[in-house]
Amino acid sequence: MDYQQTSEINEICNGKVVTKHPNDLNEKGIREDEQQHREKVLKNLDDSTKLSCLESAYTSILRELGEDVGREGLLRTPLRAAKAMQFLTKGYHETTQDILNDAIFNENHDEMVIVKDIDLFSLCEHHLVPFFGKVHIAYIPNKKVVGLSKLARIVEIYSRRLQVQERLSKQIAKAITEVLEPAGVAVVVEAVHMCMVMRGVQKMNSKTVTSVMLGVFQEDPKTRKEFLALTRKN
Amino acid sequence: MTAPRGLLRLYKAGDAEAAGRVSLRVHTLHFTPRGGSGPGSAPESTRRSATHACPHRGFYARPMERSKPSQLGQKEQPRDRDDSGAGDAVLNGLFDGMVKKPGRPVAASQPQAPTAGVGESASRTTSAVMESWREERTRSLEDNQSSLPGLAAAYTTILRGLGEDPQRQGLLKTPWRAATAMQFFTKGYQEKIIDVLNDAIFDEDHDEMVIVKDIDMFSMCEHHLVPIFGRVHIGYLPNKRVLGLSKLARIVEIYSRRLQVQERLTKQIAVAITEALKPAGVGVVIEATHMCMVMRGVQKMNSKTVTSTMLGVFREDPKTRDEFLTLIRS
Repeated sequence: MDYQQTSEINEICNGKVVTKHPNDLNEKGIREDEQQHREKVLKNLDDSTKLSCLESAYTSILRELGEDVGREGLLRTPLRAAKAMQFLTKGYHETTQDILNDAIFNENHDEMVIVKDIDLFSLCEHHLVPFFGKVHIAYIPNKKVVGLSKLARIVEIYSRRLQVQERLSKQIAKAITEVLEPAGVAVVVEAVHMCMVMRGVQKMNSKTVTSVMLGVFQEDPKTRKEFLALTRKN
Repeated sequence: MTAPRGLLRLYKAGDAEAAGRVSLRVHTLHFTPRGGSGPGSAPESTRRSATHACPHRGFYARPMERSKPSQLGQKEQPRDRDDSGAGDAVLNGLFDGMVKKPGRPVAASQPQAPTAGVGESASRTTSAVMESWREERTRSLEDNQSSLPGLAAAYTTILRGLGEDPQRQGLLKTPWRAATAMQFFTKGYQEKIIDVLNDAIFDEDHDEMVIVKDIDMFSMCEHHLVPIFGRVHIGYLPNKRVLGLSKLARIVEIYSRRLQVQERLTKQIAVAITEALKPAGVGVVIEATHMCMVMRGVQKMNSKTVTSTMLGVFREDPKTRDEFLTLIRS
């Protein structure tokens, strides 16, 4: 039951996009975020069970790979790997509402705001292998600006999941749009995929670039050009 | 339960003798001899199973001929049981900190003689470090195939435990893909140095430094199962024997595609080259980024870890070492 909820938070429900707003009332007439809070409390009760489940899965992986699970270097590896994996997917347990509530300010500013070179680390959902790179975010405010680090935190929420780079870019752009209602949002993600570098085709220097342009960035080519010029590596 | 897992459990329990019997029995169930059953034509699997009885026994110590391969239930030949002290499965070389049980003391003999156990015991007592390059392949393609379902099941559990839905479209085949990926990342366990090096050692009258630098390296942290990647720089001073250049990169591949610790990886590469070529000196420098430090934990993006091993004249003569370090930096 828990995993269905997570996939919905990741806006995926067997291929259909599901949008939920935390303020919607669900079928029980309770605000969605309160419901989630209750479920979070219940979830914490069996976190240790989940951890031991992950641990035993990792132990069997080590064994199947032909390693000696009893040797000194691998003794606590299942536990460490399980905790590492939980950290790398911690974005499932965070929502934008949690982090953004206080940091939206009313400013009379309507010029482009860019935060670039935000380091990004995510996990490829197809191979469970990391991909990492940089994100450049720009938006043109419409009376509301957001604390700058909150853009990086939004990136963190969505990147610390099992992801596909295209979906990640879109989720970041949509989250900023929903929260700020700006005139336009642009997100460019440039990443190196270890699943392509360490295995498979093994192309060391290849990078994947995805971009999402919403609002005025999509309609006005000059705005888009300005953004791309400002985020180009000099 | 498939054979390879049972095999490893027996090694861990220290019962190499029983492991040897099991391995021979199991492999006869799965494999049939190729091309008749004469001497020297025993299938690779049974030859390997003989040596699995004792992971410390090197390639040259293996019996070169087997007159009765693949007999169901046949016990291992007695000489294979000599090194029963090799119960520790040293699948990743010998630098894992475990205390090695001393082998039976035997008269030192040529390591290349095809007598089982003898050469290896002698060399183990002389230098535990120097043996590792001769370690046996511990995994085969058949092992890979048979462990895939278990690995896939484990990954499905992991996906569920993380709160994801393994049935959603993007994750449907992920357990299988992740399992094959992980097997690829640990394919160093399937390969042997001796296979890679056999043909490419040449006699050259060259005694100046040979350096191969910027060899891309990808490994897996054995503590967190997260990638390590970086570059390896290798230099050696030949002593009448040189090695094909790509073989240095292949040695790096064999040892790096395992669950590793960077210090051990550096040493294993240096020792392998020393054993193969017996050069005047070897220097290996590895500069790597550890994802376990970058993606989690302290989260320091730009940190790099540098380890080096200097053997022979690289260790003794500071000028040689300086020349090597300058050349790899330029």
